[in-house]
Amino acid sequence: PRPGVYPLPPGTNLLFAQSGRIEFVPLEGYEMKKTNAKTVLHLPEKVVIGVAYDCVEKMVYWTDITSPSISKANLQGGEPIPVITSDLESPEGIAIDHLSRLVFWTDSMKNHIEVATLDGSQRRVLINSDLVNPRAIIVDPVNGNMYWADWNRDAPKIEMAAMDGTSRRVLVRDDLGLPNGLTYDPQSALLCWADAGTHMMECMNPVHGSRRKVLEGVQYPFGMTSYGKNIYYTDWTRDALLVVDRHAGKETDEFLPQKRTRLYGITLATAQCPSGQNYCAVN
Amino acid sequence: DSTVGSPGDCKPCPCPGGSACAVVPKTKEVVCTSCPTGTTGKRCELCDDGFFGDPLGQNGAVRACRVCKCSDNIDPNAVGNCDRETGECLKCIYNTDGFFCDRCKEGFYGKPLATNPNDKCKSCSCSPYGTRDRQTSCAQVTGQCTCLPHVTNRDCSACELGFFNLQSGTGCERCNCNPIGSTN
Repeated sequence: PRPGVYPLPPGTNLLFAQSGRIEFVPLEGYEMKKTNAKTVLHLPEKVVIGVAYDCVEKMVYWTDITSPSISKANLQGGEPIPVITSDLESPEGIAIDHLSRLVFWTDSMKNHIEVATLDGSQRRVLINSDLVNPRAIIVDPVNGNMYWADWNRDAPKIEMAAMDGTSRRVLVRDDLGLPNGLTYDPQSALLCWADAGTHMMECMNPVHGSRRKVLEGVQYPFGMTSYGKNIYYTDWTRDALLVVDRHAGKETDEFLPQKRTRLYGITLATAQCPSGQNYCAVN
Repeated sequence: DSTVGSPGDCKPCPCPGGSACAVVPKTKEVVCTSCPTGTTGKRCELCDDGFFGDPLGQNGAVRACRVCKCSDNIDPNAVGNCDRETGECLKCIYNTDGFFCDRCKEGFYGKPLATNPNDKCKSCSCSPYGTRDRQTSCAQVTGQCTCLPHVTNRDCSACELGFFNLQSGTGCERCNCNPIGSTN
């Protein structure tokens, strides 16, 4: 292993980007083991925005806006491998479909949502209309859906579509400000978002459309991920990683990294892939 | 490498204030891991996203990291708003453009530095019939489009008095009214 850079320990870990590095915090149950938080990857010249994890090959994927690119690295101590290096302007959100072996991302300057295989081949634009500031993107491979948020100040919205870009529809357009963070919990089928404009964290069932507040007064959420009852999000005002208990509707813990600077994307790295299959994986 | 057993095995980190560093095994590259607040990079030579400067003075005098200077024409919720070294603005909004988002982008005119976004840059909207070469750009401040002969108005949308047939696309023609039978 690299001195000063630690391979990802087994079990469940939170991975988050802090500009020139990707850090991890191990979870024990729902608790963050803060004293064991370390850097997994130093990318000193990069500004890493989005992070995603492939549970099959144990690789982390990230978007970088300095030399606009998407790269990946093995978390047991591998060097970064470029995945997409051309025709990107401001790649931000990133999501992995571990079943179909695909990477999805948003580009806030091209105003695109694109997809490619995990080696960067077979790239395709899925959505290229009615996007202004697309950021967060997540996929639900089992049901074949993708969700994304656009923080366009004039008309922010949260949308969904099938993973091939068809069946696109707006899920939320009222009472949104700057929906930066988005997460989907397949167990509860809940889509949750964190809004830096309304300072609200909310959830909805994308099928039934029932929407409810989880927490008011969040400061400046950016990235977001969920694990069981907990939601973990990064905050630009607090330069911290926060834990919210979705059931109790309150903040339960915070982690302040040693370096006091903005935190960006966050994702969950689990030891095992969630079980499931989708039609793309078998066909 | 502390396992060799010679006095020079451990060297001080080449980082500001002797702060911590790490060695990347494959490349033997030394990376600072505890850069001062607001800085990043292998040697803490770069500014954090949203800031610009030259904290180590690698290209001339030392310039401390300062927040992107883009004439209030960037969105604080965006990432990568300016070049971290030069400060060149990369994500101008309100139809502005330029190094400091201090002028209107092509096809727009007005006051890019106005405080109210509605007063900033408006579309030239030059009339396709009355504008030379169907140009879509106009003068930066006044918004005057380049009109064809005998065409008038800021957007070249009307013929001068005594002229007609804007639709021709080649300029307006003289009315040729009989001076005796006409009222003007």
